[in-house]
Amino acid sequence: MDWQAVWDSRSLLIEGVFLTLELAAVAICLGSVVGLAAALARTSRLAVVNWAAQGYIGLFRGTPLLMQLFFIYFGLPYLGVNVDRAVAAIVALTLYSGAYIAEIVRAGIESVAKGQRDAAQSLGLSFPQLMRYVVIPQAGLVTLPPLVGFYISVVKDTSLAYVIGYSELLRNAQSIIDRTARPIEVYLVVGLLYFAICFPLSRMVARLEKRVMATR
Amino acid sequence: MIRPDAATPVSAEMAETSIGDMIHLADVHKSFGSLHVLRGVSLDVAAGEVVVLIGASGSGKSTLLRCVNGLEAIDRGEIIVDGLRVGDPKALRQVRTRVGMVFQQFNLFPHMTVLRNVAMAPMLVLGQPRDEAEARSAELLVRVGLKEKVAAYPSQLSGGQQQRVAIARALAMGPKAMLFDEVTSALDPELVGEVLRVMRGLAEDGMTMIVVTHEMAFAGDVADRVVFMDEGAFVEEGSPQQMFSDPRDVRTKQFLRRILEK
Amino acid sequence: MLFDWSSVTRYLDLIEQGLFLTIQISVVAFSGAFALGLVGALARRSRLLPLRLIAATYVEVLRNTPCMLQIFVVYFALPSFGLKFDNVVAGEIALALNVGAYMTEVFRAGIQSISSGQIEAAASLGLSGTQIFRHVVFPQAIQNIYPPLINMVTITILGSSLLTAIAVPELLGSALVIQSRTFRTIEIFAVVTGIYFVLTFGTSTLMNLLGRRLFPARARL
Repeated sequence: MDWQAVWDSRSLLIEGVFLTLELAAVAICLGSVVGLAAALARTSRLAVVNWAAQGYIGLFRGTPLLMQLFFIYFGLPYLGVNVDRAVAAIVALTLYSGAYIAEIVRAGIESVAKGQRDAAQSLGLSFPQLMRYVVIPQAGLVTLPPLVGFYISVVKDTSLAYVIGYSELLRNAQSIIDRTARPIEVYLVVGLLYFAICFPLSRMVARLEKRVMATR
Repeated sequence: MIRPDAATPVSAEMAETSIGDMIHLADVHKSFGSLHVLRGVSLDVAAGEVVVLIGASGSGKSTLLRCVNGLEAIDRGEIIVDGLRVGDPKALRQVRTRVGMVFQQFNLFPHMTVLRNVAMAPMLVLGQPRDEAEARSAELLVRVGLKEKVAAYPSQLSGGQQQRVAIARALAMGPKAMLFDEVTSALDPELVGEVLRVMRGLAEDGMTMIVVTHEMAFAGDVADRVVFMDEGAFVEEGSPQQMFSDPRDVRTKQFLRRILEK
Repeated sequence: MLFDWSSVTRYLDLIEQGLFLTIQISVVAFSGAFALGLVGALARRSRLLPLRLIAATYVEVLRNTPCMLQIFVVYFALPSFGLKFDNVVAGEIALALNVGAYMTEVFRAGIQSISSGQIEAAASLGLSGTQIFRHVVFPQAIQNIYPPLINMVTITILGSSLLTAIAVPELLGSALVIQSRTFRTIEIFAVVTGIYFVLTFGTSTLMNLLGRRLFPARARL
């Protein structure tokens, strides 16, 4: 095993980590906004809004992320948008995340027992009050584990941007392998890097889950 | 005198126990971590005898039952059931075919019909062919008063009905003795009677039973002996009349007063 | 905007081949994942510490690294150890390993949720450990895990698209080939989007219906 080659390329690896985290962070932030909006749209009583949200969510959850990535990368130019890889990656990951986050939020809201909503409304609380004092505090805790769990998967999914040539950790890894012909060492290190990012977060999710279970 | 088909050679002391002892416990100790739950319990139950164990929760009654059929392993002492030593891993399955247990939470198998719940163990453990097992199971279900429910699933039955199925399931193995662990405690009051009726019938038919219960009227009617346990040891025992009207130990008196006040 | 659908119809056979390969990969990978999940869950609950550690390591490593990386490892790194597979098989192996880690946790939760009281009752009736697993635990575990199982099937189908990166001509790969020849992006991707959607939505709907048949409500846990 020749670790020297890997060590020599460490700047590329470190850059890869930052690029990955950067892309993930942007997608998570934008995706959460989109997801929240879509979840709210799903609660709307206007059929058009509700159905549009359902369609968006169903489409992006029922088709592969990689396909969405290519579709946007090749398709955006038709909309007159000058596409660069970063934009395509961000847009695709954002829309993808939004759909999943919308579902997670919706499940969380629904998990707050209907009886409680009935009780609150019988007491005369308005809809915003109901949301603020009864639903969101409880739903918030329940959504946290699956939400953070999904954020972890976004970090991993940034690796798909590799296929459209976007630079992140996996792409940098491949170019190091092309140069040094040492796939095993490089993949080991890269695997460790991803693991080092994701595993602590996974443990946190497990702890959050235990806390949620304790309150039920 | 000693079972010729015993799976394990029994110690020489066995020769000293009286003929007809179905269940024999000698100086049984059991701890869970630092908690010493059973402190030197000794008990002999003759064939056909009905022993009722009473005591506060935490006194070790349930643990005692669970040691008799090997669900818990004892730390010290000896338990012999129908000539077999409980504790010998090879004898364990055989022990469990000789003594049946009914639980507070019924523990029926929800994915099987009532009939299959009862017939499964005779088929799998005793090797009975399906028609025979199912026929005998159906008979048992008639005996506990559930003839029309053979094709139902546990989720469709009331608590009392489920518990009666559980009794039939344990009886299907043809045990020589039965252990009842607070089997009516999880039932709504109006369903308790139907279960106690079945248990009374079993006692009248000569089944050897150890019953942990809070149902004092039942104990008074059916028990041959009542034993009061406290903090892992036997405090006092005697006939039901003796125990209920004139308990000797102050702890027994306190416990009975609390229980009978309800 | 006028769409030129002939660009798609001309390559129908390519799309067909891609679709069949996607289905094949999904079936093979998921079967492997199912078996791995069952074995893994049992290993995690084993009394032997080495078994538990190996299973736990497998689960954590495969769930905390990207699937794409795992595919590359199987296809590009394993040959150095003498394990050379063609790209389809390599992809199936990687996908099975990946989904298998998630299936392990699904099975584990399913088995754990079966009340210990039932296992005690079965033991009290004299059933052996194997008999208890086969007749009491496993049938109920399957029922418990059925909803997340359907989700895992969907994930496998979607995951098969990653094999494009190692030049497997499954559905997405075929779409890219057609796109590179005709440059009619919208048409071809719209069609492939529709096909994937029908695949995932159809499969989960069918499995839901099947579930209602297999697990009648009266026997619901």
